Amino acid sequence: MLGVIDACFIIDWCRYRYRGLLEKFFSTLFVHEETLEQLKSERSITYISELLAKGILRLYPWSHREEDEFLKLRSEIASNSRIPSLERPDILCLIMAKNLNATLLSENVGIHRVVEFHKEYGNVIVWTALETLENLVYKGLLNISSTNEFLRYVKEYEYDTGHIFKSSRLENSLRRLKSWLEK
Amino acid sequence: MAGKIKPSKELIEKWIREDEEARSIRREKANWDFIEKQPPKIRLALIVFIETGDIYKAAHIANLTIDEFDELRLKAGIPVIT
Repeated sequence: MLGVIDACFIIDWCRYRYRGLLEKFFSTLFVHEETLEQLKSERSITYISELLAKGILRLYPWSHREEDEFLKLRSEIASNSRIPSLERPDILCLIMAKNLNATLLSENVGIHRVVEFHKEYGNVIVWTALETLENLVYKGLLNISSTNEFLRYVKEYEYDTGHIFKSSRLENSLRRLKSWLEK
Repeated sequence: MAGKIKPSKELIEKWIREDEEARSIRREKANWDFIEKQPPKIRLALIVFIETGDIYKAAHIANLTIDEFDELRLKAGIPVIT
């Protein structure tokens, strides 16, 4: 499975006690060199270096055609007051995920909102850590026998990263897991 | 030249509700004693993060990179909400 990873996701995920599970889930994760330039802390650089050394993480070969796509998308979404700041590397990640048909790992609310309303990007699958944890369960990389056990994993993630998932999103996730457990 | 693509009124209303919920959680969880003790620029950046959830704006105000700011917001007990 292919993934694209952005800076906000890396910054949080690298604090998670089970961060190593990500490399068991994805065969290849792509990153843009401009995303790497956003990372300055020892923790995130160490994590990303490990993924690169293991061959899981690869630099994406950005093209001129995609640069045109970036300019178009940026102008289409500019100045919408309800979309939090989107830096260039975040938008590049979205374009990469669309063109690779890969899952985008992003905690950036602005990116999630672009996917919600922009027709050309509406098919891009974007996961926060919550959907990532959920899909680790489906793949058998996190073992649970009840939704309470999943909640325990979520609480650990929240504790490690200082990240809280909205109750509505968590409820949706628990509903899907409950029906999966009942199968 | 590309035109602007606008989200629907319903979607914007949903986002406004989501933003308000997230803001209220950040305000409630924040360690205000820690925030009050910070130098003015850092304090401002943390408050901007509480109010907007926008790490880029906040990091820019604090003159930090986003992952440096992330360490700071953790110390200030301010959660990221998604």
